[in-house]
Amino acid sequence: MQPSQAPHGNLHHRLWMYEAMVKSRELESRIKTIYFEGKTPVFNMAKGPIPGEMHLSMGQEPCAVGVCAHLRPTDFVTATHRPHHVAVAKGVDLRKMAAEIFGKKTGLSRGLGGHMHLFDAAVNFSCSGIIGEGIAPAVGAAMAARIQGRDDVAVSFMGEGATNQGQFHEALNLAALWKAPVVFIIEDNAYGISVCKAESTSVASNADRAAAYGIPGVFVPGNDPDAIHAAAGEAIARARAGDGPTLIELETHRLEGHFVGDTVEYRPVEERERLAELDPIQLFRSRLIGDGHEASELDALDAEAVRLADDAISFARNSEYPALEEAFAHVFG
Amino acid sequence: MTDVAIPDDLWDDDSEGSISSWFFSNGDQVNEGDLIAEIMNEKVASELLAPASGALEILVPAEEPIRKGQIVAKIAG
Amino acid sequence: MSSVDVMQETGAKTRAPRQRRLTVARALNEAIHQEMATDSSVVVLGEDVAKIGGVWSTTVGLLDAFGPARVRDTPISESGFIGAAVGMAAVGLRPVVELMFVDFVGVCMNSIYSLAAKQRFFSGGQVTCPMVLMTSVGGGYSDGGQHSQTLYATFGHLPGLKVVVPSNAYDAKGLLASAIRDDDPVVFMFHKGVQGLGWLGTVPRAATHVPEEAYLVPLGKAAVTREGSDVTLVGLGLTVHHAIDAADQLQKEGISCEIIDLRSIAPLDQETIRASVRKTGRLVAVDDDYMSYGIGGEVIASVCEDASITLKATPRRLSFPDIPIPFSPVLEQGVLPNSEKLVALARQAVLEK
Repeated sequence: MQPSQAPHGNLHHRLWMYEAMVKSRELESRIKTIYFEGKTPVFNMAKGPIPGEMHLSMGQEPCAVGVCAHLRPTDFVTATHRPHHVAVAKGVDLRKMAAEIFGKKTGLSRGLGGHMHLFDAAVNFSCSGIIGEGIAPAVGAAMAARIQGRDDVAVSFMGEGATNQGQFHEALNLAALWKAPVVFIIEDNAYGISVCKAESTSVASNADRAAAYGIPGVFVPGNDPDAIHAAAGEAIARARAGDGPTLIELETHRLEGHFVGDTVEYRPVEERERLAELDPIQLFRSRLIGDGHEASELDALDAEAVRLADDAISFARNSEYPALEEAFAHVFG
Repeated sequence: MTDVAIPDDLWDDDSEGSISSWFFSNGDQVNEGDLIAEIMNEKVASELLAPASGALEILVPAEEPIRKGQIVAKIAG
Repeated sequence: MSSVDVMQETGAKTRAPRQRRLTVARALNEAIHQEMATDSSVVVLGEDVAKIGGVWSTTVGLLDAFGPARVRDTPISESGFIGAAVGMAAVGLRPVVELMFVDFVGVCMNSIYSLAAKQRFFSGGQVTCPMVLMTSVGGGYSDGGQHSQTLYATFGHLPGLKVVVPSNAYDAKGLLASAIRDDDPVVFMFHKGVQGLGWLGTVPRAATHVPEEAYLVPLGKAAVTREGSDVTLVGLGLTVHHAIDAADQLQKEGISCEIIDLRSIAPLDQETIRASVRKTGRLVAVDDDYMSYGIGGEVIASVCEDASITLKATPRRLSFPDIPIPFSPVLEQGVLPNSEKLVALARQAVLEK
């Protein structure tokens, strides 16, 4: 892929990944703080400038950046109810994304969708709130690229819980049958709300399930952006070359609860306490410095990420709510 | 007269909570051990049981902020 | 004791001792506990129902009380585990299955409307389906278009399913007990807006007195929540409370409303609805499902096709419009049915000559 097509342009891809992770984290930290506005002392989900549910992806950033570093705007990505890190890495307009989460008329969907229904057609990104719902559409978009003579690919992000949903199995079979240029990314954070993987899944590794469909299955441990980047690069290149789909299972960590407000009582205390040591952004920063990057260089990327996150939030806060007519305007064309 | 207080150790930090529901009304007869209210702190619900039998006097209505240790009702008996 | 007595008594100054109020969530939980204690064939399955007692607190304490063979956390496999529940029901278990959000029914509709609903019919009565599908419905708290629907009409429309919606804790416990004991599949829809969960905002009036002993509220019977003479308001679940608020307002204007709480979508208690409108001559139906082909239309049709009823005013329906549920609170709150809109329609009906 030409540098001009890659999202990182002339920036070294490792620095791009670092900055994208920090950008996502800074945005989500602000969202988490603002989410609690209006919700104390009585936690009523309906109140405040960001009402409803909120599913944060803190800790899972490597999965998004390691994969999206290889993707063009014309490559198609579907994500889940926990979408922010993927949206940021895919290049979704940050201001419009924040405005959508606030339900403002300047949002990606003019306030109609909210945080679980972020769509940005300019970069072919979408997400949805029903588990497994985005897997088959990615297969379809991949096939469309072939039919239309493009070498674009599709990527479907899902949690490990989604692998037990019927659509997962149907979509993998279809993709294999049709040799679709699609990559399936499982973000295994070990928990589907309160139920851990061992209690929901009949096999220890979802990567092994790929064999059932005759496609390659890869497991990448460690929540490591470099390792994810390498595995995703291979899979995406394979897809672009016409050699069909790949299933990649990524070990990752959900640093927060399932939703904001989740006290995570179902998770053993030792596990919860270990999470702080596993912050992938801190670990990656240390590795970059160890590899010879200057701290000041990373600080500059941090500062830019903070600036963009602040700008997006401020844009969202200062935007207006939609007019009531907007609710009726986009049912049909 | 028995005080009905929010336990001092019901939640970890010093945040406020609230009573989300009283299950009896002012003046009602309650028995020791009855579930008389539900307390919310962040998203966690806890039960408030009557420490004694008698007539319930509610001091703090639902949805008002409360602190750990606060006396929210009395039971006369 | 009917729900009208219960809801009014709870607000009254003098009452019997030991008036114990419970939230709808606790009432449902108590019903399941009591049924499981007396009938070993009752089992519970669903997502997050065992270890954490359900995200809606319906199954709290069941795992500790009855053990993992009877109370099961499932993978995210609705089609699989609901289909499995139908199989359990076919050979003598009484499964209570929770579908976390009714909006998820898309992935498992076949197990419900093809299997559960038709098992007795296709077998000529040999094989029944004594299953309860318990599911959360409703929005109004900004959860977006895939987590806020009610889909009442969708389930009411398909033959072979009994469908109930409680508006208060007393009815919730009795209806769920009846549903569990019923030999037919019952879709038990509990509205998040009256569930009584502190973190979701609720209607305090829905937490009514609930007797400690087990009791039954019959399926297929509506309740007269309040008697009146000028106009009949028909609601279900959360909208019964809109009707009560509207009626309180209209009372000040000298308009007397009769309120019907449907409680049951299928079978629909047409008799109670018709008796009321025969008396008042005016009808406004209010529900928070999509309007077209919906609850309001069905209620109106059941009145209009009764030749013995003389209407003094055009029947009216207040529903959610035919649009996906928007996220932004100004939009969602702007289009949801509420008591102000209901007051306006009732006034119009009364003013018609």
